[in-house]
Amino acid sequence: MIEFFSTFSPAFILIAAGVFAAFFPLHHGRKILMIGAPALALAATASIFFDSQSGSEFIGGVYNVAGLELTTLRIDHMSFLWALIFCIAGVLNGIYALHEKCKITDSSALIYTGAGLGAVFAGDLITLFIFWELLALSSVFIVWRGGEKAYPAGMRYLGMHILSGVLLLAGAVIYGRSTGNYDFNNIGIDAPGGKLMLAAMGIKAGFPLLHNWIQDAYPKSSVTGTVILSVFTTKLAIYALARGFAGTELLIYVGAIMTVFPVFFAVLENDLRKVLSYSLNNQLGFMVCGIGIGSTLALNGVAAHVVVDILFKGLLFMSMGAVLHRVGTAKASELGGLFRTMPLTTLFCLVGAGSISAFPMMGGFVSKSMIIAAVFEEHHYIVFAMLLFASAGVLEHSGIKVPYFAFFAHDSGKRPQEAPWNMLVAMGCAAFLCLFFAFPWGGVQILYNLLPSEVAGEAAFHPYTPDHVIFQMQLLMGAMLAFNLLKKRGLYPPERRAQILDFDWTYRKLGLGLLSWGNQIWTRLGAQITHMAKRFFGAAERRFYYLFSPASALSQDAPSGLAAILTAVMLAAILFAVYLL
Amino acid sequence: MAKSPDKTSSKLSKTQAKEREEAHPLARPFLWLVSHGFQDKFFWVPLIGVIVFSVLGYFYPLHHPAPWDVVPMSYAIFGFLAYSFVVLCAWPLFKLLARDENYYGEGDDD
Repeated sequence: MIEFFSTFSPAFILIAAGVFAAFFPLHHGRKILMIGAPALALAATASIFFDSQSGSEFIGGVYNVAGLELTTLRIDHMSFLWALIFCIAGVLNGIYALHEKCKITDSSALIYTGAGLGAVFAGDLITLFIFWELLALSSVFIVWRGGEKAYPAGMRYLGMHILSGVLLLAGAVIYGRSTGNYDFNNIGIDAPGGKLMLAAMGIKAGFPLLHNWIQDAYPKSSVTGTVILSVFTTKLAIYALARGFAGTELLIYVGAIMTVFPVFFAVLENDLRKVLSYSLNNQLGFMVCGIGIGSTLALNGVAAHVVVDILFKGLLFMSMGAVLHRVGTAKASELGGLFRTMPLTTLFCLVGAGSISAFPMMGGFVSKSMIIAAVFEEHHYIVFAMLLFASAGVLEHSGIKVPYFAFFAHDSGKRPQEAPWNMLVAMGCAAFLCLFFAFPWGGVQILYNLLPSEVAGEAAFHPYTPDHVIFQMQLLMGAMLAFNLLKKRGLYPPERRAQILDFDWTYRKLGLGLLSWGNQIWTRLGAQITHMAKRFFGAAERRFYYLFSPASALSQDAPSGLAAILTAVMLAAILFAVYLL
Repeated sequence: MAKSPDKTSSKLSKTQAKEREEAHPLARPFLWLVSHGFQDKFFWVPLIGVIVFSVLGYFYPLHHPAPWDVVPMSYAIFGFLAYSFVVLCAWPLFKLLARDENYYGEGDDD
């Protein structure tokens, strides 16, 4: 059985299930596929990984296509960890979406999960590109499930991801032709095509100024769609960066900026799903920064943070999805006091909020600390301070703002029902895992065992030392005190409905405006040219008419002597011209 | 005309009773969490937290201090200032960046 599974990528299980689900009419059958296919893919992956004496790299599913050797199954510690969390997230998403009767979401979600898994297992750049594009194509249908308003956002999303794919392919071809192989290992920014591939991954990872597709598309998707979308695309980009560009110094600064700038936008946003999308960007910044550091501790921190981030960010999106499902809005200005009727959703949201804020005993405490410690070890003090600043900012938008304005704050008078049971089960599982992977007596060790490198020697990390816990609590308590003081003094800005401008203004307004202006100029210029052409040809026509029409001067009778003189002058002119030439 | 204390208390208890009735059974024991009294007094929790962890920080100093960690309570001060800066920046940023919800002509997100 294991031999059978090792001949092809487990991603194909999910993709086949997705294609089948597109035509399968029975809702319950599709739901079984939604949960069963990721679970089967997980079992297949785990069986191959543990059977191949866990540690060595397993290569399988190699196909020869047009002279290129495509490796669809490369399992090592790194790809195994990503595959594991992708499959777990796939199962949780399946549970969360049990109530939804939608063929498109079910089918797209399965193919999307499969594409993510396939890209993680890709052993070469061409296979990576194929799954990279499939990821974009399958996910855009999930964005569009948000309704008519999601359509333009979906188009922009698709445009960005197709661009990312084109850049990746161009970089891969340049790299392959220069080096003679397409293996997907460490590439480096200075390699031929390296910058193109970095840009491609940067789009998917939400680098500054390339990030807007996240905040544009994710909050516009459906309740379940946003939860599904939040898992795969960005984390795959982190995987690709960690695999191909670990230790690239530029990424330290890119990551540091990524952690800081979303904090300022998140505090302005009224839509809590958009707040979480900015928060997603901020957490990706920690990972990108860790990849830039590139030490064993940093890369372990990145891998650990991917695992817990998928869980706590998924959990936060799930809780806001539950609110949207029950109340019909996720706008902070319309919410408040939902704790009264949604206590379990509140509890799970608080676990997610505590985890992302890195409270001790909760998800992010271990993984985020690993990255920050790795930055500190390399004496990047300014970057270190930026990450601490971002940690206080995370507490603001995800730790306090999201749960406070949704479930506490003023009473909105809304009394919705508690979330459906399947949503509660999915949130409960995610919350449990958030706590489990930070549990100092067992959970942390299990997380450590899953990481790409052994957490020992130089990469040893002990999060639960008294000084670390105390100073982390100092940071968080200081920030919470500021919240309370600002709130008490009326200095905390009220939640107001508004469109907050971000960099996407440059193409949604400025770029569109320039195009529209160019179009108008072209239209007017075209009209003017047509008018001038008409006048020119009209005049020419009149002249010819005067010359050659029966009433023209040339048609009139002329004395033969005059004609002879004219002919002689013309001949003389021609002879003179010929003589000169 | 001012209402008598009895009438006020009976009205309050009616409101509370209604709130309890509407609340989810699991939320009922914790309704004090959403009371104004608790939310006003919650201020003391982080304040005491800052004091306690600052005192503990004196006894358990950082093993690997950053250059600025010579200042006592440096992390608490950093957290306080960073948070305040982010929130206070929201006022001018909102004026600068906020537009009508339908600014892009695609309606709001709801």
